[in-house]
Amino acid sequence: MKTTWKTALAGALALVLSAVMVPFGGEATAGMYDGKVITLIVPNSPSGRMTRYARLYAPYIAKYTGAKEVRVVNKKGGGGVKGTNFLWVQEPDGMTIAFTSVPTLILAQLSGSEAVQFDATKFVYLGRAATEPRVMVVGGNNEIKSIQDVMSLNRPFINPSQGTDEDFYTLAILADAIGFDLKIVTGYEGQADTGVAIIKGDGDGLLTSWAYTIPMVEAGDMRPILTIWEERHTDYPDVPTALEVVKAEKKDAVEAIINMLAMHRGFFGPPNMDPTATAELRKAISMASADPELQAKGKEQGLILLPSDGETEQKRIVQITKASQGLKPVLKAALDSIK
Amino acid sequence: MLEAIVGGLTMLLTPQAVLFMFIGVVYGLMVGILPGLGGIVAMALLLPFAYGYETAAMLALLLGAHIATIWGSSVTGILFKVPGAAKSLALIFDGYPLTQQGHASRALGASATAALLGGILGAIFLAISIPIVRPVMLFLGPPEYLMMALWGLTIIATFSEGSLLKGLVAACIGVLIAFIGMDPVTATPRFTFGSIFLLDGVSFPVAMIGLFAVAEMMKLYVKGGSILDRDVTEERSTVLDGVRDAIRHWWLVARSSLLGVWIGVLPGIGASVGGIAAYAQAVQTSKTPERFGHGAIEGVIAPDATVGANEGGGLMPTLAFGIPGGESMAILLIAFVTMGVTPGPQMMTNHLDLVFAMMWIIVLANGMTTLIGLGISPYLARLPAMNANIMVPLVLSVCFIGAFATRGDIEDVIVAAIFGGIGYIMEKYNYSRANLVIGMVLAEMIERNLHISLTLHGDWFLFTRPITLTMFIFVIFTTALPFYRNWRRGRMVAASTGGRP
Repeated sequence: MKTTWKTALAGALALVLSAVMVPFGGEATAGMYDGKVITLIVPNSPSGRMTRYARLYAPYIAKYTGAKEVRVVNKKGGGGVKGTNFLWVQEPDGMTIAFTSVPTLILAQLSGSEAVQFDATKFVYLGRAATEPRVMVVGGNNEIKSIQDVMSLNRPFINPSQGTDEDFYTLAILADAIGFDLKIVTGYEGQADTGVAIIKGDGDGLLTSWAYTIPMVEAGDMRPILTIWEERHTDYPDVPTALEVVKAEKKDAVEAIINMLAMHRGFFGPPNMDPTATAELRKAISMASADPELQAKGKEQGLILLPSDGETEQKRIVQITKASQGLKPVLKAALDSIK
Repeated sequence: MLEAIVGGLTMLLTPQAVLFMFIGVVYGLMVGILPGLGGIVAMALLLPFAYGYETAAMLALLLGAHIATIWGSSVTGILFKVPGAAKSLALIFDGYPLTQQGHASRALGASATAALLGGILGAIFLAISIPIVRPVMLFLGPPEYLMMALWGLTIIATFSEGSLLKGLVAACIGVLIAFIGMDPVTATPRFTFGSIFLLDGVSFPVAMIGLFAVAEMMKLYVKGGSILDRDVTEERSTVLDGVRDAIRHWWLVARSSLLGVWIGVLPGIGASVGGIAAYAQAVQTSKTPERFGHGAIEGVIAPDATVGANEGGGLMPTLAFGIPGGESMAILLIAFVTMGVTPGPQMMTNHLDLVFAMMWIIVLANGMTTLIGLGISPYLARLPAMNANIMVPLVLSVCFIGAFATRGDIEDVIVAAIFGGIGYIMEKYNYSRANLVIGMVLAEMIERNLHISLTLHGDWFLFTRPITLTMFIFVIFTTALPFYRNWRRGRMVAASTGGRP
């Protein structure tokens, strides 16, 4: 009788426990993130594409780590530097990670920007969500019709610029590597301002993402003249890549910048991040990228995905650091040219 | 074209689109009332929920929320001197004095009606202007934007009552504050003293919260009572008086709306400049400019009409070139792309009905906001009568939460408190806070455009570009006009009194 009573109690307890556990079950295995909140810093505008990618990924990272929530926090400012500085000093316990344009950070550091307090090579890279080719465009009515025209210009190529972002530095490297005289005019406010400036002829051209130029290229307001990518873009097979026109002795510089741009929209954590957390997050980000539901949502929202795993990105950063040391004088000269 | 206009309206006449617009408007009003959060945040937070519905419903939700935040931001500016967003700044100059005088309902009514009329007129002006928008955008450039900013500076004289020198000092302090942070031209940190927080400069909404709202609460704490003047015991006017005011000043509304459309159309000029420019033209064209700053209803009508009309103008860079004119338009651009619509000039031919659907949304969402606004205004107008013991902690809490919400930095709360102290001292010693803010808003615009003009067009750009020169002459004329009027009035007074003082 006594045994029966105890058995009944244990049975009831098990039932209660299993009932309590059911909601917590699912695809995540028991791990260090169970029921915790991960903070995902996005050092960009809340309305920008970077934040939209972060918000797309956040619930799926939570799903595959078992975290209660992945909270997206925007820490905008200083071209992404402010939020990244914030991550640099966070506890490496894996509870705070970031998502932004990795090349912007590397280039800001290489240029010797006074605002940078981090070493981009020391971050722990967790995976890439997407990357897309950059393209050099000129105004539709501009006398310049090709990259050869830029190279034979008997005046500087005028670039209206918003300031020292990745396109500013990339264009400076390209000008040095391809061999044309560049005049960067800073002070423009936003893409609309720089876009209209080249359409009306105040400036010659600019560097931007392929997706951004599509409507203007289709309308004849802009003309693509160079692709900053490993191969020609299928939409515009006549537009050469930077590697095709670069001087032989400067090929390494262009390869370094293409490698850097390939890291584009990436997740990373503070230096010396907890190895268990690193492994769990890398796995979760890879699984999230492969999730058909996330992919469908990305497509629905016009967010192109081109994922890459954390280990690959970590190896890439080592290569970039080695190759990009030679870029420092060019980047510094670009900064000096606007002072 | 008529077919597209009707087609655009028909797209919106579905239960889903109407419901989504209503949800967007109510949500936008709530977000707008909270200082620090504006239309961009409202749209960005809504975007993930907008997919998978009718095209018109999706646009109605997003644009409806954005439109409603405009009036939401005006409410706190008028009632508590807390501008909900940078673009509502100019509303506090006369809106708050009206509240103090017991005319809060009237100010809110005028504000809502002006925003509605501005939205409608803006959409009409825009529809008419579509063929000329592109050439005008290509015609005007940084030198002309510079002249617009200089014109905005002329308003400093209006707020320099008593001492022009004090007015200029306040404006110069504003300019210096605007220079804190990363120099937009040379990427050099200025006045940051090694602080990473200051690299991004002093947030304009945070400075405004401190300068006006926190300072006002400090003043109220010292004074006691309520924010209403001592002799005001009840509301002296109604919401309908405000509606009538806005309709009576139809010419001012029309002018301000036109200004709003074009400020929205031109990339590189923010809506906060628009509100100040609207205020400037209201003062400069008034026969009694001395009433401004003391509760002139025109000072509420002009900025609200401009900001209301500005939204339609902001669509234009997106439609004419496929370039988002601002962050809010970047969100709309994303929405278009997901709908499979390529933004740009081809939209005018392939999806003209969608273009007009957006214009209808601006009109209808403005109408809905105004109806709700007029309905709740009498209740909102009672809030300023609250005693200081309740009001001060309540408003200060909202202010500091708003300051934090702006960028998510605790340092912004400290900045708001510091600016509160600065505002209190300025008020006590008769230095115009409005001038400080005008200096802050226009400094960066002047700096950017002066630099670009000099680099691209040379040192003599003023004389080599006829439009720039014409605008410069106009700036000089409008600056001199009030001084000339004062001088003539002085002479007339002297003549009528036979030269006696």
